[in-house]
Amino acid sequence: MSTAPTAAATAPHADLVLGWYRPVEVDGMVSLLGVALIVNLLLLPIEMVRGADGTLLHGLEVAGLVWLWTAARALARGLTGTTAPIVAAGLCFVPAVMSLRHAAGTTGIAATGSGLTVWALWSAAWVVVPAGLAFITFSSRAVVAWSAGTLVTAGAEAGLARNSRLRPRIEQAASHAGLMHAAALVLIPVVWILDVAISPGNGLGGSIGDAFTGEHFARVLGGDSFWIWLRNSVAVSLGTTLLGLALAVPAGYAFSRFRFRGRDAAMFSFLLVQMFPGVIILVPYFLVMKSLGLLNTWLGLILAYSVTALPLCVWMLKGFFDTVPRELEEAALLDGCNQAQVFRRVILPLSLPAVAVTALFSFLVAWNEFLLALTFNTSNDMYTLPVGLASMISATGQAWGDFAAASLLVSLPVAALFIVFQRFLIQGLSAGGVKG
Amino acid sequence: MFGRGRSHPRWTLLVVTTLALAALTALPVASAESVQDITFDEDAAQYRRVRLTAATVPGAASYEVWFATAQFNDTAAAMLHSTLLVGDTSDLDRPAAGSGYDDCWVDGEAAARDASGRVVVAATAGNWTCDLTGLTPGVAHWFAVIALGEDGAPLNASSPIHAVTATSEVVDEPPPPPDTTPYLIAIGGIALALVATLLVLRQRDARDGRALARNAHAYIAPALLALAILTFYPVAYGIWLGFTNAHQTHLGDNAFVGLANFVTVLTASGFLRVTAFTLVWTVINVAFHVSLGLCLALLLDRADLRGRTAYRTCLLLPWAIPSYISVLVWRGMLQPDGLVNDLLGTDLDMLAGESAAKVAVILVNIWLGVPFMMMALSGALQSIPQDMHEAAKVDGVGDWHRFRHLTLPNLKSALVPLSLLGFIWTFNMFNVIYLMTDGGPDLWFGEPGATDILITYVYDVAFRDGAYGLAAAWSVVIFAMLVAFSWFYMRRTDATEAVA
Repeated sequence: MSTAPTAAATAPHADLVLGWYRPVEVDGMVSLLGVALIVNLLLLPIEMVRGADGTLLHGLEVAGLVWLWTAARALARGLTGTTAPIVAAGLCFVPAVMSLRHAAGTTGIAATGSGLTVWALWSAAWVVVPAGLAFITFSSRAVVAWSAGTLVTAGAEAGLARNSRLRPRIEQAASHAGLMHAAALVLIPVVWILDVAISPGNGLGGSIGDAFTGEHFARVLGGDSFWIWLRNSVAVSLGTTLLGLALAVPAGYAFSRFRFRGRDAAMFSFLLVQMFPGVIILVPYFLVMKSLGLLNTWLGLILAYSVTALPLCVWMLKGFFDTVPRELEEAALLDGCNQAQVFRRVILPLSLPAVAVTALFSFLVAWNEFLLALTFNTSNDMYTLPVGLASMISATGQAWGDFAAASLLVSLPVAALFIVFQRFLIQGLSAGGVKG
Repeated sequence: MFGRGRSHPRWTLLVVTTLALAALTALPVASAESVQDITFDEDAAQYRRVRLTAATVPGAASYEVWFATAQFNDTAAAMLHSTLLVGDTSDLDRPAAGSGYDDCWVDGEAAARDASGRVVVAATAGNWTCDLTGLTPGVAHWFAVIALGEDGAPLNASSPIHAVTATSEVVDEPPPPPDTTPYLIAIGGIALALVATLLVLRQRDARDGRALARNAHAYIAPALLALAILTFYPVAYGIWLGFTNAHQTHLGDNAFVGLANFVTVLTASGFLRVTAFTLVWTVINVAFHVSLGLCLALLLDRADLRGRTAYRTCLLLPWAIPSYISVLVWRGMLQPDGLVNDLLGTDLDMLAGESAAKVAVILVNIWLGVPFMMMALSGALQSIPQDMHEAAKVDGVGDWHRFRHLTLPNLKSALVPLSLLGFIWTFNMFNVIYLMTDGGPDLWFGEPGATDILITYVYDVAFRDGAYGLAAAWSVVIFAMLVAFSWFYMRRTDATEAVA
């Protein structure tokens, strides 16, 4: 008995330590290094495309990361000591710094001047940051003490408490890192198109924010084409919205409120339409529209679009009408309203927000549709905005600056609408698309 | 719309050949050999085309036909209409007249053509005749035939131009409106049948005493009518078209050809290639949409994440921005002087190579499709009860195991329909391919291009080649593939559900 404390102080309690406590940052490091390794392996073929020198250095970086990751895993599993991962982390810096120096030494191709492109910095960061964090982590007091295998119970308990404090923070940091990468990928094209729209000339070169001009906006807004396309798009989209609602609102209401013969068959037919791919309809649609003289008209597109959006609109509205209490209607009926009055005076005002969302959905479908508009309206003064904008980037001439300005004018309002109403749109879509 | 209409007596192009003589006298003529008798056949002149006959020139290696809408003495002021070669014709095919627009005859017989379709005139022939298409009605055209020697130089050195004037006096008339009666009868029939059905159903409901449902049939009638006329009727009509030879050259004059179109589709060169690429395209895209969407949804699922709304809004952008704009922006970014090359410090044309273009269109479509899956899966994640996770956490179950054995099984009911929906959408994703590469960079005549998927190729067959019947047959085949896949997929997922 009397020897027990000294044994606890000197003998390694590897089983206890490994079984119950491991600093959470060690696990975090192993995951981070694994991700860094995957990222750098994926970068390898891109480096090969860029040039032989980069490939060699990048290969060294990958080799360093493999060693570091293996050492970190070994440490996490079996208390192998922190020396190996610390040395590996240090070694990883060498090729990373060399590749940065190499990039800085080359002349940049674009107007950036230096070879230190965003790409070079970012890809070096995926070595420097993990290796740096590994260096700090594996030389920190907590990890060194743990890896020595001499922790007593009290130390392990304190460590566990520390773990539960640290864990959410590490998870937060990891989430932010992942989401920031995704956000950057999303925002890069948006920022770039903004820059093209305000850069002089209709070319693509130049770095971001190097010059400013309003010429593209002036040309787009000053010419006739944009206004003609806008007029067509607005007419078609509003027509689609009105016709779509006129068809969908009564149908959604009937499906929500009444049990009648043929209800199941009718609802099934709406579902079936959603499964039809557009392709099977395109050619016969075109021929029918051609024969009826509806090509190059607003009406042809309005008819086609309102039916395209109809099934989802009916399902969305049915879902909304289901949430309006029946008692209200029954009370109105008792008060002497007839069915049509109930629908007009009680149900419609109550479900106005839902109808608005459905209207927005129909509008967006018509506003953004490309294939049918391309097929049906082939004359320049009947183009809708999608076809018109696409015609700015054609084989005969690529007016990138004008296109960028026009596409900002077209997409900013609808993107803003979409984001403001996204919660409702997605609810409605999932009610129609997923549950249905 | 060159060469769209068939010939019609009323539109016969009147070619004034008498002016030819005047033109001949106006131009200095070098030698006797170079003088050719060029004549226009008035009776054979058709809408937007004239028939030209020329005598051969001894020693010529090729003939060029030049034309302009103003008189010209130099080919710089004219456009090259066609080129005829001179050579050995014994091994060459002689496609029958009428198989193309640019019909040619040599000594009154259908002309021989080489592998790329160019006319080859035998050295011993006496004259050749060609239908020259694509002319503007009602406008005078000047033509010149130049005989070129082996060295490519005109045989008649002093005056290469040997011009003849042709004018047409026919105004451009629109084709007569197509016969709408069959369509109107079909649409009227469908509408009447549907209304009759609804009335019968309503009668029966009334007899059963469902008073409240009295108006129900009237409420759904407009939507059902629209659906029947604008969706079910075109689908049925499209399936019928697949069995006909409908073509833009003879609209409204379709003959039933049985399964011929389907045989053409299934034996088309490139059928397997385009189907394989469509499958690769769809599977890779859906796999990345679902996996990346799930990753992002899981990252966004943390309630304590700071800036969650900002991230969510930002990540929604690819869905919120109209897809045709995003695709064109990406096309700009992938140009040699675009942003991607700027960032990489390279100077590559990423849409010029076949494999590179394939990778590029797939990456762009992944970018476009992730937000939808992310939002849909976010919704599904929130509907998973949290108490199971809490219990598992207390029991010390690790993150990965909780994801694998709690989150994934709970998500399955959403993942199965979502991935099927994603499959159908991606399979039919027209915009990305059409606007990024239009099937290129490598295009082959009568075959799908390197990055064509089935739907973009069907578009080409229908609206570039004008073969509506064949395109309809392609559509039916595609639809059959989708139905077969969906059925197989649902069965497989049901089967695993039954086992699990």
